[in-house]
Amino acid sequence: MITLENVSKTYEGVSKIVALRNVSIEVKEGEFLVILGPSGAGKSTLMRCINRLVVPTGGRILLDGREVTSRRRELRAARRDIGMVFQQFNLVKRLSVLMNVLSGRLAYHTFWPSLLYRFDQDDKRIAIECLTRVNMEHKAFQRADTLSGGEQQRVAIARALAQEPKVILADEPVASLDPKIARQVLTYLKQIAGELGITVLCNLHQVEYAREYAERVVGLSQGTVVFDGPSGKLTDDILQQIYYRDPETADDRD
Amino acid sequence: MADPVQAAQEDVLAALIARKKWRFHHIAFMAVGIAFLAWAADGVDLSPKELADGIPKIAKYFALMIPPKWVFADTVWQPAIETVYIAIWGNVLATLIGLPLGVLAARNITRLAPLRFFAKGTLNLLRSISELIWAIFFVAAVGLGPFPGAVALGMNYAGILGRLYAEAMENIDPGPVEAIQATGAGRIQVILFAIFPQVLPQFVTYMLYWFEVGVRSATVLGMVGAGGIGFELVTTIRLFEFRETAVVLLIILAMVTIIDLASSMIRSRIY
Repeated sequence: MITLENVSKTYEGVSKIVALRNVSIEVKEGEFLVILGPSGAGKSTLMRCINRLVVPTGGRILLDGREVTSRRRELRAARRDIGMVFQQFNLVKRLSVLMNVLSGRLAYHTFWPSLLYRFDQDDKRIAIECLTRVNMEHKAFQRADTLSGGEQQRVAIARALAQEPKVILADEPVASLDPKIARQVLTYLKQIAGELGITVLCNLHQVEYAREYAERVVGLSQGTVVFDGPSGKLTDDILQQIYYRDPETADDRD
Repeated sequence: MADPVQAAQEDVLAALIARKKWRFHHIAFMAVGIAFLAWAADGVDLSPKELADGIPKIAKYFALMIPPKWVFADTVWQPAIETVYIAIWGNVLATLIGLPLGVLAARNITRLAPLRFFAKGTLNLLRSISELIWAIFFVAAVGLGPFPGAVALGMNYAGILGRLYAEAMENIDPGPVEAIQATGAGRIQVILFAIFPQVLPQFVTYMLYWFEVGVRSATVLGMVGAGGIGFELVTTIRLFEFRETAVVLLIILAMVTIIDLASSMIRSRIY
């Protein structure tokens, strides 16, 4: 479903920062993959390379066998197939819940109807359906900023679902939520993805969630894949590698 | 002293004190600032004494305004309403011209630097020519009346509003923008769905405020024949009919007050 071949990203700036170093991952259709790593390991960059919110400096990424490029038309089509969920939810706070979910449908339309903030009946039906899946349909007409964090994240999931995506990228989706709500959100993500056959890549920094929810875990440390296997094989030794890898011993990092 | 926490605290405190110390460049900056003010004061012939001496004269002018000649209101209510029309259409025009230019001038929307500079340059040009000068141009072009006044206001305010809009859009939360981009939405869809909703309250505030400013400005446009109540204002002053002037000024005050009340009502609904 998704193939990353030697993906690299270096941020050029005052000082060069190597965020990803030759990352190769193969994700199968319908898989629930957790990318585990400490803050700054490059998890967000990796995710953003897939839908090109960040343009990689090396390697290629294939979605369904087709390379994701920067060409506008192709990129929009690719992004439509990739829903994204964020740590800070990133809802448009002043718009209603329904409008936020409907904006997941934008890529299916040209900008003319958007100019009047109009969507057709199908869009509305899909949006309500998606809201129902996360049990938020009763708040459809409330403004997004009246919701709690957990509710906002559920709406954000509904927005991603409204794209009718093949893939969902969840970038630290529960990092701003308390443990109870976090489990609820992860359960929604996993259940729905399973039911709809959506491939999910989920960034996490908490080991316990990874153990609980992941089928497969990719451990990322300082921009390099240090583990790739079933969550059962996450031994203390490997966790040590992911979280406490000594920068001194890491190759040529500057 | 061996306590590392205390040692660290002392380090920070020492650093704070060091930062507070007056340095040579602080004093130099202040000296330059004072010199600058003095230079400007000389330029405007700043003279508190003349102002103090003039106060009785100003008081005399105001005394001549009492009592206002209320019947004059019959003559000026129509130009007063014309002034509001000018302000309304001036602002509509300003938004129609200023908003697209503001979008093009916003750093986080327009990545193409030359385009951004073009938009910023145009806004600067529109803004640097005051509405009174624009009015002179347009009166010459299309003749006397409120129409050139409205266009003149529109030009100058497009430059002001466009810049304010651009700044408002540059200060939004980039998260929702990223989220809408990630859905595969196009450029304009991102602006409509992620950027405009975030800046709507500011846009409305600016629009209402500049409408009020517009009413005040429009009162002056009449001086150059661009319609509105300004013509009556200037005429009464020139003819030393200060009791009529008083009526005109009171009408302007009333209009501004009403607009102020109305706009705070509208603003409280769009939060």
